[in-house]
Parts: sequence; C-alpha cells; structure tokens
Amino acid sequence: MFDIRRISSSRWWHKKKSWIFCGIFLFLVFVRISKGSLYKDFFYFISKPFWPGQFQKEVIVKSIDQESLIKLNLIKKDNIRLRKILSLQESSNNNKISAAVISRKTGGWWRQIILNKGSKDGVEIGNIVTGPGGLLGRVKNTSLFTSSVTLLTSPESKLGVWVDRSQINGVMVGSGDDHPSLILYSKDADIKVGDFVSSSPASSLLPPNIPIGIIQSIDNTLQSKKTAKISLLAKPNVIDWVQILRGNI
Amino acid sequence: MNKFFTNKLSIISFIFIPIIFLWHPNWLGFLGVQPYWPLFWLLPWSMINGSVNGLVFGLFLGLILDSLTLDNNLTQIPGLMFCGFLFGRIKLNTDILAGHFRHGLICSFGSFLCGTLHLSQILFKNFSDSSSLIFISGIKNILAEVFLTGLFAPFICSQLLRMFKVSRIKLH
Repeated sequence: MFDIRRISSSRWWHKKKSWIFCGIFLFLVFVRISKGSLYKDFFYFISKPFWPGQFQKEVIVKSIDQESLIKLNLIKKDNIRLRKILSLQESSNNNKISAAVISRKTGGWWRQIILNKGSKDGVEIGNIVTGPGGLLGRVKNTSLFTSSVTLLTSPESKLGVWVDRSQINGVMVGSGDDHPSLILYSKDADIKVGDFVSSSPASSLLPPNIPIGIIQSIDNTLQSKKTAKISLLAKPNVIDWVQILRGNI
Repeated sequence: MNKFFTNKLSIISFIFIPIIFLWHPNWLGFLGVQPYWPLFWLLPWSMINGSVNGLVFGLFLGLILDSLTLDNNLTQIPGLMFCGFLFGRIKLNTDILAGHFRHGLICSFGSFLCGTLHLSQILFKNFSDSSSLIFISGIKNILAEVFLTGLFAPFICSQLLRMFKVSRIKLH
C-alpha cells in the first residue's frame, strides 16, 4: 500500500512545476495564435514617449505636394482612358487615417512596420498604407491598438502594378532587399529605365494610380519574361507618419 | 523588490527580447540588418541550465517571435530550438578572455544556422517565382547578421551570463 502511494506521488501531474510549465506553454501558444496582439499592445504603451513628433511635418508636406502633382497627372490620364472604357469602378480614397510608425523592420528577413492605430480606430486587414511618396504596403494584421503592415519589399508582398508610359500590367514581387522586382510576362514588353510605376487599375487589391516607384534597371536574360528592379518613391526606413486608406476598393 | 529582480532576472530579461526585436534600432544595424537578438539570451541561459532547458526556451522564444512577424508560413522555432540544445552542450569556460571570444563565435554560428534555415524556408516557399533574386539578398542578410551577432555577443552574452550566475547563486 505504501509502495503504491509512493509511486503515484511521483507522477508528473502531481508536480506543481509541471503544471506551471504547461501553463506557460499554453500561454505562449495563445500568444502565437493571437499573432502577438498582447505584446504589440504592450509595446504600444511603452513606446509612446518615443513616437515621432511634429518636426517632420514640413518634409512630409513637401513630399505630399510632389506626390499630389504626380497623382493629378495620372488621374487626368486615367480619367480620359476610363471615359473611353466606361467599365471600371471608381475608387474613393477620402477615408484616411493618419498613423505613426512605432516599430520598423525595413532590413533583414522581416520587412514590416507597426502603426499606432489598430482595430479600435477602424483599421482592417487588407487596408492600404501610403506614405509621403506613395504606396508602402498593406495591413496584414491588427490588434486593438496597433496594426502590422507588410511592406512592398517583403517577399510576402505580391501586387498588380502598371507601367504608366506603355500601359502594361505586371506583377511586383518583394525580393527581400530595398528594390522590389517587377515581372512582366512578355519578352517584348516596352519598358525603359526611368519609367513610372503605379498601382494597376485592374488590381483587385489596390485603388488605381497610387504612385509606387521608378524602374531602376532591367534584366533581359530570362527566356519568357522580363524583370526589372524598382526604386520605391516612399522610403519606409525614414517615414514616421503614414496614411491608412480605409474602406473597400 | 531588489531581491525579486535579482531572483527573476533571467525571466525579466526574457520578456525584453521581443521588445528589442520590435524596437529594431536602425543605428545598431549594418546594411539594414540587426543582430539576431534571441541568441544573446539563449546562449547564457542554455549554458547554465543545460540542453533540455535550452531546447524548451528555444521553443518558447520561437513561439513569441513568430507571433510578432507577419510571415505566416515561415518559422524561427527549429533554428532556435536547435541552437538552445546545442548551446546547452557547451561547457562554461574559466578563462574570461577566451570565454568572450567563444561567445562571439558560438553566437555567429547560431545566427548562421538560424539564417540558413530561414532562407531555405523562403526559397522553398518561393521556389517558382524569383528565387535567384531572393537568394542573393538572403545571403547578404545572413552575412550581415552573422557579423553583427558575433560582434555584440561577447559584450551582451558575457554580461548576461554573469548576471544569471549571480541570480542562480542567490537563489540557492
């Protein structure tokens, strides 16, 4: 009888440590499943004193002016084209939320930024994020106070874009460095270094004509397709304030 | 309060790893890449507490860090678990100077291992698309990360190792 009691008291479920271990493990699994919402909200509060101030305003206003000029030109052209086609839906970008960048991973493996506006402010997964210069990325994940944005440079990012001069659609894929790649599935596609790239009017993920970047170099070595490196107009590594475009396209 | 902090130092410092991971200070980077922060904590922890503990806390770290990154199909868990297990097999060195350099080399190796595992996952996932472009930037990332991790490890790991030892002695 004594022996049985001794054996049963040495089972793992009789040890307090094992239960603590299981508790921690379950908590971490919860953190993983909730995509770190607790941690990001905690980071929101402790990083609050270090958020970017107003001193960047002048720089941002200047960049926004330049962006507006390019956009205006594009919209004029697009308007003429759409009047001819009369089949595309109009987009409304009036519903914007300004947000500050509170965490930034623009180099290395993970290319993402975390913003100080979350589901509480109406940010939804899939919303478009723009900065001074143009498109930055899309909201991939939201917590109560924060939202995480996949940058265009991330290998996860794949978007439909449009070369403005020759009006060719292509796919822009992040390649893990600062210059995403534009893939055109035609060997004879008419593109030149310096061509302007914007979001495609045919894209179902983005509103049309958001400035993205300029073609920096072209690679003709592939057999069936043409690839090009793009220099982005919006620089995620220096931008402190961004705009989130709410609502459907 | 002071005693509490001394006793729980390893756990408190564990909580700060994801914070530094999110903070991502640009001025500490090289070619836009940061040192691989979790290894700085995992090395002293595993050296003191052994392989099994290292393996388990590698898993814990991986779970937390995976939750903070947006790539759903990529994970840091295998690399960190393997590093935790490997670091636990390493004996503590009495020679302080040799110990410093050893920490640098071990962390560099760990960072190389984790980076390679991460790159292979990315390449596997994007095999058909533009793997050659990703491969080049991936190699750049690995080299920069290995360099930075090796550079900072002697300072951070040695300090943490000393603090964990003190905390352990006071606990017993």
